[in-house]
Amino acid sequence: MKTNQPSIQNKQSSQLKGFVLKTLLLIVIVFLLDFTIGTTLQYFYFKQESGFLYRTTYAIEKTKAPVLIFGSSRASRHYNPNIFSNQLHLSSYNVGHDGNFILYQYAVLSAVLKRYHPKLIVLDITRGDFAIRQNDYERLSALLPYYKGHSEVRPIVQLKSPYEKIKNLSFIYPYNSLLFSIAVGNAEFNKQKMKDIDGYVPIEKIYTGSMATADSLPNYPMDSIKISTYQSFIKDCLSNNIKLVIICSPYLFKATNTDNTINLAKAIALKNHIPFHDFSTDTSFVNKNQLFADSIHLNNGGATIFSNKVIDKILPF
Amino acid sequence: MLFNSFQFIIFFSIVTSVYFLLPYQKRWILLLLSSCYFYMSFVPVYILILGFTIGVDYFTGIAIENAKNGQRKWFLLLSLVANIGVLSVFKYHNFINQNFTGILNCFHVSNPIPYLSILLPIGLSFHTFQAMSYTIEVYRGNQKAEKHFGIFALYVLFYPQLVAGPIERPQNLLHQFREKFQFDLDRVGEGLKMMLWGFVKKIVIADRLAIYVNTTYNHTGQHSGASLLLATIFFSFQIYCDFSAYSDIAIGTAKVMGFKLMVNFKRPYFAQTMAEFWKRWHISLSTWFKDYLYIPLGGNRLSATRWYMNLMVVFLLSGLWHGANWTYIIWGALNGAYLVIEILTKKIHFPFLSSQLPQKLVRVFKILLVFVLSSFAWIFFRANTVSDAFVVIKKIASFKGPLFYENPSMLIYSFASIFLLLLVEMKQEFYIGSFSFMHHKSWIVRNLTYAVLIITILLMGVFDGGQFIYFQF
Repeated sequence: MKTNQPSIQNKQSSQLKGFVLKTLLLIVIVFLLDFTIGTTLQYFYFKQESGFLYRTTYAIEKTKAPVLIFGSSRASRHYNPNIFSNQLHLSSYNVGHDGNFILYQYAVLSAVLKRYHPKLIVLDITRGDFAIRQNDYERLSALLPYYKGHSEVRPIVQLKSPYEKIKNLSFIYPYNSLLFSIAVGNAEFNKQKMKDIDGYVPIEKIYTGSMATADSLPNYPMDSIKISTYQSFIKDCLSNNIKLVIICSPYLFKATNTDNTINLAKAIALKNHIPFHDFSTDTSFVNKNQLFADSIHLNNGGATIFSNKVIDKILPF
Repeated sequence: MLFNSFQFIIFFSIVTSVYFLLPYQKRWILLLLSSCYFYMSFVPVYILILGFTIGVDYFTGIAIENAKNGQRKWFLLLSLVANIGVLSVFKYHNFINQNFTGILNCFHVSNPIPYLSILLPIGLSFHTFQAMSYTIEVYRGNQKAEKHFGIFALYVLFYPQLVAGPIERPQNLLHQFREKFQFDLDRVGEGLKMMLWGFVKKIVIADRLAIYVNTTYNHTGQHSGASLLLATIFFSFQIYCDFSAYSDIAIGTAKVMGFKLMVNFKRPYFAQTMAEFWKRWHISLSTWFKDYLYIPLGGNRLSATRWYMNLMVVFLLSGLWHGANWTYIIWGALNGAYLVIEILTKKIHFPFLSSQLPQKLVRVFKILLVFVLSSFAWIFFRANTVSDAFVVIKKIASFKGPLFYENPSMLIYSFASIFLLLLVEMKQEFYIGSFSFMHHKSWIVRNLTYAVLIITILLMGVFDGGQFIYFQF
């Protein structure tokens, strides 16, 4: 038994050494592949000149428009920057982004403020924006490609999970699930297909679904992080002398009560002397299916009417 | 703590490293403490429920062994009542109460029994069944009562299989906690490979498919028959990858430390009969029901009617085991009915099938039939309510409306992930012993394979995917 002991120990230590060596080798291979593929994806991601992903890059890195419109998919479908530019005599850009709310908007604002100070910002607030939804944090992955190059975006991305710093050591991770979108974004046909007008994405469709009767909106607990981010958005605009207008754009169906988020957003805005316009109950839009593409998005015709109405509220500017 | 989280990678690395550094007599302490931490990372207070189950089963196990013949069954009964009691309170109370209220309402009587507002402890059905298998085996004389409280607690709490199995038997697992496992490079490598493939199945395949499935199944009224059919097919792969991934990671984690857990899945979608499907799907639960319910009920040794009844009872209870909802009960009933029909039609001869068609084609047809039948049953398993399930079936039957997809990449990634799964599993099923990337003799090929799988996770994985489906059971 005694003579066996050292040989077992030797075997163990040589196996352990082998394991460490093999693990190191694997790490090197993974690093090389990660670096090569990640760098290639990064090159093609930022090479895009049109499409959904490009609009984020343009908003964060390129736009110099004095008028910016912030919000979710409702913002990108409801505000036509051409109408704003014509009537305000200032170039406008719509930085609205599908499925992303106040957290994303604040990250984009921070990136914009690092480059220049717009004159006017329109922030579109949606019902339920402040609700506690894990999904809203997950959707911040739209900002991952900007994590390394934009320190102002990092604190927002880090809200996704406590491990974002580690995950972002990878070169591929920021482009996770984007392989196909990047390929399409670089394709010639996409430039023709995915046309937007300064960030505005018109929908040429009329809602033909069933017309619902007035319904009550649910009560829900609100996310303190989102509320404080909204307050920071207002504070940053005020401290940089940017005129801010906060709007809740139209919905097809009327509700019997006001949404929790809209109530709170309005109260915070008014407390900071920021104009807040609620179009969610505007009779020019409620139950007018010919102005909507679906129950929450205006079509191009509806967006034209709405954009003009918003400018009427903003003017004189 | 989810297996598919950074927290787990850190936890696993620390626990495994310390495990091999400790003298083997002390390792159980590390495993017990780390298992407690693992479980408490979900809802800390629920460790008390496990503590209660462990306490009762530990003492009843010893009492069964020491008791005289007549008293033994009373101690077993005490253990079963305690285990099933905990399960009933936490999992079935509200369901039973809800149905009771419904019945009373028919007679315009109100139900005085209150509903409990409690969260279901994660993996309760799994560790309860594992604990029950211990006292039953002690009662049957197949297992000696465990006198070491810490080792027994570890048997119930062992973290790799604590929350979603495989549901182990004491004869297989208990003695392993006393064994002196050395660091074995080949075994560690095999364990890590299993874990890696488990991560791919969960993060790249199951969570990817879940995006489409959840979108459609959570709004069945708004989606077309084509979309719901695709979602149903996706769900069949999602549930398989989700659950088998958990098993792979659990078995792999245990294997790295030297433990051998039972195989839980054997490529079930290549089964040619429903009976075979159940020999390949969630094997640890199927055999649990077979050993502790089906055979004690008489199995197939009684009249044909009793045999069919036994099958139905087992599958109805299996459905109920999965969840306190009529959807699961119907799912169980359907699977039971499939088996009964299969037995009844076994003797029917189809000369066309056996003589004129090539056997490979017949085999493919049988595999597809099993897939269709199991997928049909999965509709009930996945639907939020029974009426939702019928909406899905009705819409699929009418097959009207456009196919929903948010963007093409949603479908491309989903199909790519299923293709990857089928490729690997077809190789494992039909080409055993042939070329293998993971077990290739060249270390370059092997390492490149691991690296490619890791890169696939980074490139195509869903990092914000939720917990494993089977956690809720």
